[in-house]
Amino acid sequence: MFEEGEHMIESILKRYPKERRFLLAILQDIQRTYNYLPRKALNEVREYLDIPLSSLYSMATFYRALSLKPKGKYVIRVCDGTACHIRGSMNLLEEIKRELSLLPGEITPDGKFSLETVNCLGSCAIAPVMMINERVYGNLKPDMLKEIFSSLGGEENG
Amino acid sequence: MKIKIDGLECEANYGEYILEVAKRNGIHIPTLCHTDALPGQGSCRLCIVEVIEGGKNKVVVSCLYPVTNEIEVLTNSDKIRRMRKNIIRLLAARAPESEHIRKLKEEYKVPEEKRFNVDKGEKCILCGLCVRACEAVGVYAISSVNRGITKKISPPFEEPPEDCIGCGACAQVCPTGAIALKEFEGKRVIWDKTFELVKCSVCGNYFTTREQYEFLKQKYGLEAEEFLCDKCRKKSTAQKLVF
Ligand code: SF4
Ligand code: FES
Ligand code: FES
Repeated sequence: MFEEGEHMIESILKRYPKERRFLLAILQDIQRTYNYLPRKALNEVREYLDIPLSSLYSMATFYRALSLKPKGKYVIRVCDGTACHIRGSMNLLEEIKRELSLLPGEITPDGKFSLETVNCLGSCAIAPVMMINERVYGNLKPDMLKEIFSSLGGEENG
Repeated sequence: MKIKIDGLECEANYGEYILEVAKRNGIHIPTLCHTDALPGQGSCRLCIVEVIEGGKNKVVVSCLYPVTNEIEVLTNSDKIRRMRKNIIRLLAARAPESEHIRKLKEEYKVPEEKRFNVDKGEKCILCGLCVRACEAVGVYAISSVNRGITKKISPPFEEPPEDCIGCGACAQVCPTGAIALKEFEGKRVIWDKTFELVKCSVCGNYFTTREQYEFLKQKYGLEAEEFLCDKCRKKSTAQKLVF
C-alpha cells in the first residue's frame, strides 16, 4: 500500500503545475496508483498545491471514483440499476455476503476483495451484471459466484 | 428607477437586488440563507417573489434578482404563499429540529409530514453560509462533504478541524442554529474542538479564543501584547483621538 510506493506520490505531483485546477486530475492519479486516497498522500497534495485540507476532502468525498478507504485487489461492482435489481441483484449481494462475508462498502481482511454497488453498468440486456476490476460478468445466478471467486483465489475467505 | 413592491412605490438603483429594496422600504420578505455580510447565497429559495414585467409574471429569488427595469413585485401573493409553503415543507422535512423552521411551519400552516422521510434530529439545511463565513475569515476549516442524500457540512475526516481557530463565525451566521457552540469555565467548544478563551485586559470579560487572537494578530499585524476586546479597543482608540 502507501508505504511501499511513497515515492510514487512525488512522481505524480511532479507531472502537474502547482495549480488548483489540477486537483481532480492528481487525485485520480493517486486513486489509480494506490486504489484509494491515502491520508498521507492527501497531506502531500495539500502542501504541494497550497490549498485547504477542507477543499481537498470535499472533492475526495464528492466523486464516486475516488475513495478514502482502501479497495481490494479485486473490486467487485454489483449492478443494482433498475434492470439488474428486477433480475435479482439482491440475491447476488446475499450470495457474496455468504461466500466472502462482504457487504457493500467493505473490504475483506486480506485485502483481496472489496464490494460496491453501482447504478447501471449499461449492460441491462445481460442483467444481472457485475464487474470485477475491468471484467464484466452477465446473466449471473447466485450459484455461479463461488466459482468465479475461487478462480480469482478467493475460496480461503469463505 | 421606480419599482412597485406590493403596491408601494420604491426607489431602486439599477442592479440592486429586490430584497435590498424591499428591506429599505420596510417590506418584509422571509429569508434563511441571506445575510447582509455574505449576500448572494441563494440556496434556500424562501425569499421567492413574483415579478410582473411587460404584462408577464414570473417567480424569482428576490435575494439574487437585480432590478434592471421598472417592474412590479408581489411578495405575498396567493401563488407565492402557496409555493413558499411547499418550500417550507421540504425544509422542514430536511431540518425538523430547527426552531426557526418550526416557526415558519406554523406561520404557513404546513401540516405534519406524512409523505416524505423526515431527517430526524437534523437542523442543517445545507445552505452553505457557514462554509462561506469560514472562507471569509480566511480559515477554510469546514466544507461540504459527500453528495446527494449524504451531503453534509463537516471538517475534513469528520475530526476536530486542525485549521479551526474557534472564532464561531459559522455558528453565528447559521440561520437554523445547526452548529453547536458551547462556552463554559473559560472554554469554548465548537466542531468538537476545545479552545481556551482569553479575557480582555481592561474589562476582564472573556471575548475570544487564544487561537483567534493569534490569527488576527498575524493577519492584521497587530502588535499589542495585551488582550483588548472590541469595545475596549474602540474606547482606547477614541481616547487616543481625543487627547
Ligand atoms: S450548518 Fe447552518 S449555515 Fe451551515 S449549511 Fe447548515 S444551515 Fe447553512
Ligand atoms: S441496470 Fe444493471 S446494467 Fe443496467
Ligand atoms: S434568502 Fe434568498 S434564497 Fe435564501
